[in-house]
Order: sequence, then structure tokens, then C-alpha cells
Amino acid sequence: MSGRRSDPRAVFFLLAAVVSALLVPVLPHEPHKPSLDWVGWTLCVAFVVLAVLSWLDHRSRLRR
Amino acid sequence: MALTLVVVVVAIALIFDFVNGFHDAANSIATVVATRVLKPWQAVLWAAFFNFVSFLVLPLEVANAIAKIVSTDVISIGLVFAGLAGAIFWNVLTAWMGLPSSSSHALIGGMIGAGIAKAGGHVVNLVTLKKTGVFIIYSPLIGLLLAFGLLVLVMWLVHRIRAKRRVNRTFRGLQLLSAAAFSLGHGANDAQKTMGIIAALLIGAKHLDKHVLDHPDSLPLWIVLSCHGAIALGTMMGGWRIVRTMGTKLTKLEPMGGVCAETAAAATLFFASHNGIPVSTTHTITGAIVGVGSAQRMSAVRWNVARRVVWAWVLTIPGSAVVAMATYWVVEVLR
Repeated sequence: MSGRRSDPRAVFFLLAAVVSALLVPVLPHEPHKPSLDWVGWTLCVAFVVLAVLSWLDHRSRLRR
Repeated sequence: MALTLVVVVVAIALIFDFVNGFHDAANSIATVVATRVLKPWQAVLWAAFFNFVSFLVLPLEVANAIAKIVSTDVISIGLVFAGLAGAIFWNVLTAWMGLPSSSSHALIGGMIGAGIAKAGGHVVNLVTLKKTGVFIIYSPLIGLLLAFGLLVLVMWLVHRIRAKRRVNRTFRGLQLLSAAAFSLGHGANDAQKTMGIIAALLIGAKHLDKHVLDHPDSLPLWIVLSCHGAIALGTMMGGWRIVRTMGTKLTKLEPMGGVCAETAAAATLFFASHNGIPVSTTHTITGAIVGVGSAQRMSAVRWNVARRVVWAWVLTIPGSAVVAMATYWVVEVLR
């Protein structure tokens, strides 16, 4: 990816998504308490969506 | 003698709490002062009030988690003292080096280090440690995501309104609510860390039954009130100092961005407090501000500063743990 063509915001969001997903297995499971795995997966999905939207936005700006 | 030592260590814990409020006052009042919604003295009182009353709103789960970070069977006055000393030393060191670190995580690291020095790694509560470690990363990301989403939603809602001055006035008013919510979250999560330390100390010194931690809301009221009082007092004192340094990074927020960042950070703190997860209020508001900045344009975020911040975050728990271990051994030699 060249400096002009890459979208730093999309890259950052994608990195955040990967880190969020990688940390899910580290989350402990406590008896009598709800699992917090959903937090990691929600962050992962949301950041992937943001990365895609950000990249699309960046691409449309480049075309203009 | 033992009682005197307990009183001294409780006093050190409360001073730590006071300094925490002093440090974090900027997070709570910077935006309301910068946009002149409140005069500095009003903003300081506003934040301190909500710091103090937060125990009426949120459960004491974080206090419970902190009190159990090291097995209550090995807690002693010397161990808590070493943990606090490690946290204080680490905070002073990073402040001197110009690195922003979290006093909350320094406290956790300090207790873990002192616990390991006394009895080995098996006394550390791995569940709390793992949860805290993961949320060092998750809490700023949640703040970022919520602030980003909130700002986009709000911008979409108001983009057709032509009377920009009216929109601005509305958000200036809303800042009162968002600052109050953030101060509530700050008071709840941060004051509870000191509560947990004091509870652990009293259990170690046999002044409190360890089964009190089975029902965290049954902690003695004087512990709850003194911790909230100390953090509120720190916020009041710190606020005055911060007023003079206004015009730094936070002042660049517009009222709309300020409301979104504070609301997102407050929601994250409420979630963490409710689930007994000790998080850093500074990390959370930083993530939320980055969220607001990146919703506007990526260059609005100072990424080189962010990189240094992340390193300080990563190093805080191990760094303060090492200092606390050394302190514990020194205390043992001197005893």
C-alpha cells in the first residue's frame, strides 16, 4: 500500500479488531458470573465494520 | 503498635486516593471550563460532588476485586505498605519522566509485586489479573468506539439544523450532564480501588472479617465515605491547578465532541464498575477523545503521543510490581 492510497484510519481500526479478537481467549470465566467474551467479539466486529466503512470513504475521496 | 501502623497505612492509602483525584480532575472538568459552561470553581465543585456521591449509584464490585487481588490469607500490614509504596514510587518516576501512567494499575501492580515477594506467584488472583490486563486494552477501545459512534450519530442528527449557535448552546448545557456522569464513573471506579486496599489491610490486621468480601456492599461505611471524601477533595484541589494549564490537548474539543467523549467514557466506566473490573479513567477518556478525533479526521490524533502512552500503560503493572517487591524485601530486612 502506498502512503497516499492507504487509509491510516482503516488500518488502525483493523488492528484494533485483531487485538480485540486475540484477547478473547485470555478473558477468564468466573463461576456465577456472566462471561465477558461478548465484549471482545463485539469490539472485533464493530472495528471491522468501521475499517471497511473508513476504507470505502477513503477510496471515494481518492476518486473525487 | 500494630494499630498505629494500620492507621499510618490507611492514611497513606487515602493520600494515594487524594492524589488520584488531584491528577484526574482535568479529565472531569477540562471541557466544561474550556467551553465556559461553568466557571472553574463551579466546575471543580460539580466534579467533586459527583465523585463523592458515586457510591450511592454503583455497586462496590471493584473494591471487592482489588481486595482479593492477593489472597487475603497472606495479606499483612507490610505487604499493603510495600504495594502502596511501589505504586507511589512508580507514579513519581513516570511523572518525572513525563510518561502518563495509570495510578490504578500501579496500585494493582504494587499489590501483586508485594504479594509475590511475600509468598510467591500462587497467591495472585489470576482471574482479576487477567480481567484487568485485558481491559487495559479493551477500556480505551470501548471508549473510542462509543465516542466515535456517538459523534457520528449526533452529527447526523444535527446536520440539517441551520442555527448552529443554538446547537452549540444545547451541547454546552449537555456538557454539565456528561461531566457529571464522568465524575460519577471516576469516583466509583477509582475510589473503590483504595477501598479494596484498606479492606485488605484491615482483614490482614484482623480488624475485619474476610467474609465481608462475600458481600462487598457491606464494607464499613467509614471506609466508603473516607475514600470518596479523599478523591473528591483531591479533585477540588487538583481542579484549581489544572485551570492554569487549560489550552492543552483537551481544549481543542468542541462542546459536541466533549459531550460525546465524556458520555462514552462514563458509559465505559459504569460498565466496568458494574462488572468489578478495575480500569483507568485516564485510559478510558483518552480512548474516547481519540474516538472523537478519528471520527473527524485521523490527523486530529497525535499518534506519536499515543504510542508513548501505550508503552506507559503496558509497563505500569510489571514496573510497579518490581518496585513493590523490592520495597517488601527492604521492609522485611528492616523489621
